[in-house]
Amino acid sequence: MNLLNRYLQAVARLLPKARRDDIIAELRANILSQMEDREQELGRSLTEDEQAAILRHHGNPTIVAGRYREDNLGLAFGRQLIGPELFPFYKMSLTVNLVITVVVLAALIPAIAHATGGAITLTRALIPLVTQFVVVTLIFVVLDRNKAHVLDKWDPRKLPAVKANPDDGPTAANIFTFIVTAIGTLWLALTPRWPYLLLGPGALYLPQLGLQAMPSWPIFYQVIVAALCARLALQFFIVFRWLARPKARMVDVILRGVSLSVCVLLLLKAPNYVTSPYPDIAYWANLNFEICVIVGGVINLWGTGRALFSLLRERHQMLPARQY
Amino acid sequence: MNESPFENLRLELRRGCLVLAVLAQLRAEHYGYTLRKALAEDGLEIEESTLYPLLRRLETQGLLVSEWREEDKRNKRFYRLSKDGKVVLKQLLEEWRGMGESLDRILKEVKV
Repeated sequence: MNLLNRYLQAVARLLPKARRDDIIAELRANILSQMEDREQELGRSLTEDEQAAILRHHGNPTIVAGRYREDNLGLAFGRQLIGPELFPFYKMSLTVNLVITVVVLAALIPAIAHATGGAITLTRALIPLVTQFVVVTLIFVVLDRNKAHVLDKWDPRKLPAVKANPDDGPTAANIFTFIVTAIGTLWLALTPRWPYLLLGPGALYLPQLGLQAMPSWPIFYQVIVAALCARLALQFFIVFRWLARPKARMVDVILRGVSLSVCVLLLLKAPNYVTSPYPDIAYWANLNFEICVIVGGVINLWGTGRALFSLLRERHQMLPARQY
Repeated sequence: MNESPFENLRLELRRGCLVLAVLAQLRAEHYGYTLRKALAEDGLEIEESTLYPLLRRLETQGLLVSEWREEDKRNKRFYRLSKDGKVVLKQLLEEWRGMGESLDRILKEVKV
């Protein structure tokens, strides 16, 4: 089914991310059923040519993905110039072109104005933008008028090979996350013994400042370090594929939930994290700590929400791990 | 050049009929591929790349409901008519029959 995987990968690249896995899983089920029906008719497995014929009949990946766009927009001046299949790509090309042009103009206009003694008008500045719009629109209008010829000339056997899934083993990103988590955990675990790691040369003044952590801080600290150690173990299992993705997601959600709870409980303790004989020092230390807790809380809230959403979506759709 | 207006009009005519046919067929539950086969068996061929996105659109409009379920050791997305879909189907069928009767009366006087 290598050909099918390559086809689904080509469609997936052009789909909106939020619905990508769901649409691809449905397409896969439908195409596989179609192939199985054909195999039953023939009484044997399909050859690569026969698989390619089914995929060709299913349609060019660009057209197929374009039809899944919910907005269904097109460009028309009286009659339709760019249909809904190509419109998303037209919009994307136009946006990229215009953004690049604006950035280049923003960089060049002051220099040109300086060189010409300010003799640059708004009309002149707008000419490149209008030119970009006209050129890109014309290209897509021509493409749309000839899409039947242009987009029909494709061969499933020439589609790019399937790229490795980031969830499928020791990828650079997974290893990087593991190393960063390991360094972070080690750093936090060693900080009480060597405050220099946190405060740098300022650690030398720590005894004079007389800072005292709140009585419950050691418990919070131990929970944070334990959660980080658990995350490190999770990342280790992910790197070596010793944990299925749904289970890894579940553990991830639980760990994020623990971190979020710690942040909330710490916020309830604000602003009495540390005491000092010097009120100003205590004020600034507590303020800094509180800001760190709020930032940590927001990051954790966002991460927990995202992880929970992905988990629920996968469960609702009964989707196995990404299959293309 | 002569085919183009006919082709455009044919597509326009088909578009509305397809929605009606899909809604009517989904009084019984189907997943994408079996729905396409059922429509084809009744004489209505429809491209996969048209049908599957159409199902999604009808679901977004609340006319269909779907659920992922395992069948033959594979997860498939099954669609059926929703409560609102049943109401809309009834209204569309009345409209369709009314138009059919009108067209029949008009076409009696036309020799093609």
